[in-house]
Amino acid sequence: MFLAPDGHEIEIADAAASFLAEVMPIARLHGAAPQSSAALRLTVGEMGWFALALSEEKSGSGLSPVEFALFFREVGRQCGPVDVLAQCLAVLLDMDDTARADLLSGSTGVVLAVGQGLRLLGSPDAVYALDVSPTGSRLLHLGETEADERPSLDPATPMRSITSLPTTAVATASGEHVWRMGQLGVAAMLIGLGEAALDQIVAYAKIRETFGRKIGSYQAVRHPCADMALRIEAARSQLWYAATALKEGRGDAGVHLDAAKHLANQAAVANADTNIQLHGGIGVTEEHTAHLYLKHALLLAKLFGAKRPLLANLLHAQAEV
Amino acid sequence: MDLQYSEADREFRERARAWLVDAVPKQPRPAHGAEAASFDRAWQRKMYEHGWAGVAWPKQYGGLGLTGLQQVIWYEELARARAPHYINTTYIALMHAGPTLIARGTDAQKAFHLPKILSGEALWCQGFSEPNAGSDLASLKTRGDVGNDDIVVNGAKMWTTDAKYADYQELLIRTDPASERHKGLTWLIGDMKAPGIDIKPIRTMLMDEHVNTVFYDNVHIPLVNVVGEIDKGWSTALSTLSFERGLGFIGDQLELYERVGRAIDLAGKTRLEDGRFAIEDDGIAQRLASLKADSLAIRAMTLAHITESDRTGDPGPKGSLMKLLVTGTHKALSETVGEILGWSFLEFNGDRTEHPWTYDYLWSWVFSISGGTSEIQREITADRLLELPRAR
Ligand SMILES: Cc1cc2nc3c(=O)[nH]c(=O)nc-3n(C[C@H](O)[C@H](O)[C@H](O)COP(=O)(O)OP(=O)(O)OC[C@H]3O[C@@H](n4cnc5c(N)ncnc54)[C@H](O)[C@@H]3O)c2cc1C
Repeated sequence: MFLAPDGHEIEIADAAASFLAEVMPIARLHGAAPQSSAALRLTVGEMGWFALALSEEKSGSGLSPVEFALFFREVGRQCGPVDVLAQCLAVLLDMDDTARADLLSGSTGVVLAVGQGLRLLGSPDAVYALDVSPTGSRLLHLGETEADERPSLDPATPMRSITSLPTTAVATASGEHVWRMGQLGVAAMLIGLGEAALDQIVAYAKIRETFGRKIGSYQAVRHPCADMALRIEAARSQLWYAATALKEGRGDAGVHLDAAKHLANQAAVANADTNIQLHGGIGVTEEHTAHLYLKHALLLAKLFGAKRPLLANLLHAQAEV
Repeated sequence: MDLQYSEADREFRERARAWLVDAVPKQPRPAHGAEAASFDRAWQRKMYEHGWAGVAWPKQYGGLGLTGLQQVIWYEELARARAPHYINTTYIALMHAGPTLIARGTDAQKAFHLPKILSGEALWCQGFSEPNAGSDLASLKTRGDVGNDDIVVNGAKMWTTDAKYADYQELLIRTDPASERHKGLTWLIGDMKAPGIDIKPIRTMLMDEHVNTVFYDNVHIPLVNVVGEIDKGWSTALSTLSFERGLGFIGDQLELYERVGRAIDLAGKTRLEDGRFAIEDDGIAQRLASLKADSLAIRAMTLAHITESDRTGDPGPKGSLMKLLVTGTHKALSETVGEILGWSFLEFNGDRTEHPWTYDYLWSWVFSISGGTSEIQREITADRLLELPRAR
């Protein structure tokens, strides 16, 4: 057993990291209105990333949930848009080859429908909304649906609300697979984000001085940094375990994903919080990225399992040994 | 120990309540900017004209000369009447600058400034912190060259809240160039309209620009504006900080109980995604109940602290404990409301009036960082209250 990225997994993660840092650096979010990601979508599509979890017979990359998680961890580090995930999940539904080819290339866009499907997260130019539940998924054609733009706390995520769901489902999938991949993707994004927040404060604590000392030498700063490291280490280990369990088709993969998502929610929000606090005043400014982590973490923490439903699932869940 | 209010206290509460019923502005306070500043001035002026300005100030300076306990009563009644939140653009003037001048100012300074502060005519800001001097305030570098009748100031201050609307400033600078740390500093009354002052807003994660960097390029400040003595400004600054850390947050403390109540109301009428009302969820209900207990404890702590200092005349070092408890509870309340509101909690366009709970959540970091961070408050508690060995 080896519970850490290995061999070509690391290569994929490194490739994703440098690609994403170039096309969607977190700095893009400063001072911007919630961003549409249409142009970005084409670039990501061109590089073939939307085919990540699709089997080879459907002309996908045929990579495993482990690579999928590694990719989304990097997306999370840059506070990448959730529609990248929506796009990756949408291609998993049953549909004809031309429709899928358009999704894979990014020429048609998908947003995520949440909150009983009545809230849309992602680029306003998207054609489809993906509605995923633990029992099945639908890709809905937005067509003439009137959407009301909402102000979004998270600059990475445009939000709109609709009053009724579109009725035409252009593709569906039964069962929990898409939901589980969604959980895996979001949990991975949260981990990437929580790691980025930890890296940021550790770097700052090594250079910022007060009272003639580096702030990283004060227990009041050291201990919460250590707590951040601990939370993210636990959540990351559980994420690797869950991704591997999903890859190996284990019966209890769902339990591990619920646990991974819960831990990722907690770790990311808490790390984003502590990162701001330990930066002092500079941490609450717009030009700093600390608040971007917080705002994005709050949003991701609600997707594919928020706190209360996850805890309800976990209470009586059984993991295999 | 007893919990009885005196006849005078009860009578004061009734008078305050009766006045506030009609006096509280019907319009909500504008979220920020110049409109907010003029709204605050107008509300202060109204309190002044009706004899309600300066609850904490002695009578001889135009205040109400209230005991600590009566101040508590006043803030409770303000919260109850949903009067404009007291931490606004008049805050620095009323809660720091005025009390500092009363304690340390010259007769001329008092005569000129105190009435303007009370009536809302003059707003103040606090120019203490700098880019490299926040927690470690004594490392400040903005310098003043002392001449025969004025001091020429050069440098920069950072984080100056509401600098754009302020008329005057509490300015702490280094007047002895050879000095270090707490020595060689001077506390000045700065005129924000003086030539050579340039104000650049800092945009925050709350999507507003209430804090600023203030640059000083050969700004001349007359010597008569020195509060306390030249080169002994640290001692004046400590008075200012003791007002800020003493009863500075009393309004917030007492308002928390009302806000927990509002959150409980909200939970009673907001549905979770599973269709139940939020209050029907055990996790949420228990957290709200526990926050209510915390808010009651905050009130009890405030009362204990205040009646004690009414009796002994010394506020003591408990302000830091107070700030820790209030900022912690404030954030926990926001987080719980975030769960109650679900997706709509993530709607935010910077407008405090439209999105009060999300604004308060983001504000919770401003609250736990500005005015001395939580880490520093714990250090102060360990140093002064517990007298533990010092790390610094
Ligand atoms: C919105 C806002 C409004 C403000 N308004 C004003 C204003 O009107 N006027 C004004 O003068 N100032 C104002 N301030 C400044 C405020 O007082 C400082 O930001 C605060 O004291 C922290 O200083 P800093 O930002 O330099 O952080 P730093 O001092 O750099 O602190 C960084 C981190 O290190 C920790 N740390 C530092 N030293 C120690 C130590 N010895 N032990 C343990 N931990 C330590 C801090 O707790 C913090 O977490 C404001 C700040 C903000 C954010």
